Amino acid sequence: MTISWLQAALLGLFACLSSMPGMGGSSVGNYTFGRPLIGGFICGLILGDMKTGILVGCAMQVVYIALVTPGGTVSADVRAVSYIGIPLAMVALKSYGLEATSTEGAALATSFGAMVGTLGTVLFYGTATINLAWQHIGWQAVEKRDYHKLYVVDMVLPWISHFICSFIPTLIMCKMGTSVVELIKTTLPMDGIAMKTLFTVGSLLPCVGIAILLKQIVKQVTDFIPYLFGFTLAASMGINLVSATVIAGMFAVINYKIKMLSVSKAAVAGGYDDDEEDI
Amino acid sequence: MEKKLSKKALTKSFHNWFYGHLTCFSQEHMQTFGYLCSMLPLVEDLYDNEDDKAKAMNTYTAFFNTEPQLGTLIVGITAGLEEARAGGAEDVDDETINGLRAGLMGPIAGIGDSLVVGTVIPILLGIAMGMSTGGSPLGAIFYIIVWNLFAYLGMRFLYFKGYSLGTKAVEFLIGAQGDAIRDSVSILGGMVIGAVSATWVSVTTSMQLLNEAGEPYLVLQDKLNEVFPGLLTAIFVIACWFLMAKKRMSPIKVMLLLVVVAFIGVLVGFFNPGLVY
Repeated sequence: MTISWLQAALLGLFACLSSMPGMGGSSVGNYTFGRPLIGGFICGLILGDMKTGILVGCAMQVVYIALVTPGGTVSADVRAVSYIGIPLAMVALKSYGLEATSTEGAALATSFGAMVGTLGTVLFYGTATINLAWQHIGWQAVEKRDYHKLYVVDMVLPWISHFICSFIPTLIMCKMGTSVVELIKTTLPMDGIAMKTLFTVGSLLPCVGIAILLKQIVKQVTDFIPYLFGFTLAASMGINLVSATVIAGMFAVINYKIKMLSVSKAAVAGGYDDDEEDI
Repeated sequence: MEKKLSKKALTKSFHNWFYGHLTCFSQEHMQTFGYLCSMLPLVEDLYDNEDDKAKAMNTYTAFFNTEPQLGTLIVGITAGLEEARAGGAEDVDDETINGLRAGLMGPIAGIGDSLVVGTVIPILLGIAMGMSTGGSPLGAIFYIIVWNLFAYLGMRFLYFKGYSLGTKAVEFLIGAQGDAIRDSVSILGGMVIGAVSATWVSVTTSMQLLNEAGEPYLVLQDKLNEVFPGLLTAIFVIACWFLMAKKRMSPIKVMLLLVVVAFIGVLVGFFNPGLVY
């Protein structure tokens, strides 16, 4: 599998749209096109292999399922994961002759994605730094009361930052990557310790993604129970994700009703207290 | 003198925020420029005098950053406040507006990060991944449609609620009903993520003990699965949680630690992907 200049350029365009801070806006750009599952869908469309794209996207999505960027600190860059990591992982899978549906295929994809995503944080800081120059123009416009220039500063000029930090790196990495993958393949044999470690890391990394999410949810030990309950539904009882969501929704509704009941009870109890004071 | 914002100006302001809140992001000013672009249509609608426009715009040059999607509520509230100021309300000045913005952006960021980015998006992605099992594009299409409708309509709702209710709109988020909703959604999120990790994460060991004839009499993976299917995966997830939540390690450090664990595991034969050409 090779990536043509046109395909690499299209991937570069989506990298511009999807990053945080991206030209697609947060909801459409970062939180839609930036998610690896959607990235896999787009890469599948561009590279003409939908099935592999989606499967690679799914494998990487688990690692970045709860990618929260509090206060603008990033631990991974979605443009790099979705539009450099996924295409290269697709190329690697083809080159190694691995099935994307297999555990090994998913592990290879995950390692690639995480490696590229972590290195990609450089792109995030690069974009944000170049934007400082446009913001400088913006402050001058505010001083001169030339407010319409703010639109250009906020929505047009950052395209230049993205051309430098999203488009060019994606274009080059996707074009060069194919030969790098070949090089890795010939220098590092599959049954050697390096590749074994790489594949093992790939299978362990999603645990970090899940754990980042649990950090948001688990405040005390009993909060692990819903998580383990969902785990049991799928692992022991073989219930699929959509059905598991329905069951989880039922429990959420019950919990909501109980909570609201205790709120209204407290209000009623409060009312009685007032009466007693009156007497 | 009563002044009223036109529906057109409000809609333009909302769209500027929906699209532009982070496009010109820098570590120094974050969402400040997005906020300015969002307030500009309102300021132009409310004031005719250039000095009044400048005075109003200067208010919003103050630093702003929050979870932008839930934060739409704050933009809506300030739209209402700016309207009141233009109408001559004496209790609304730079200080009230910026005090309110600074006071709300922290709590809203906390709720937004954990509720929207940390729970709603993962739940939708979990369902979408379930639909995409085997490589079908169905899940991706489902996510694109459902998430974007939810984000656009939800943010629009928040903007106009903030505009019409003012600070009262915040009570819905931090009041008793808001607490009950957040608590229930986090239970839903926890369970879906449990199912996602059991379906998509697979940590297995190749450790086995051989008898004298060279046949395995103890396959560790099978023994672990007899205790609880997927036990090793659950242990690794909880260990990562422990390192990040209790030991305050950053995700990158935990990932690096896993590289070390994988390397040692491969050396001692605990992990073996079992690949050959």
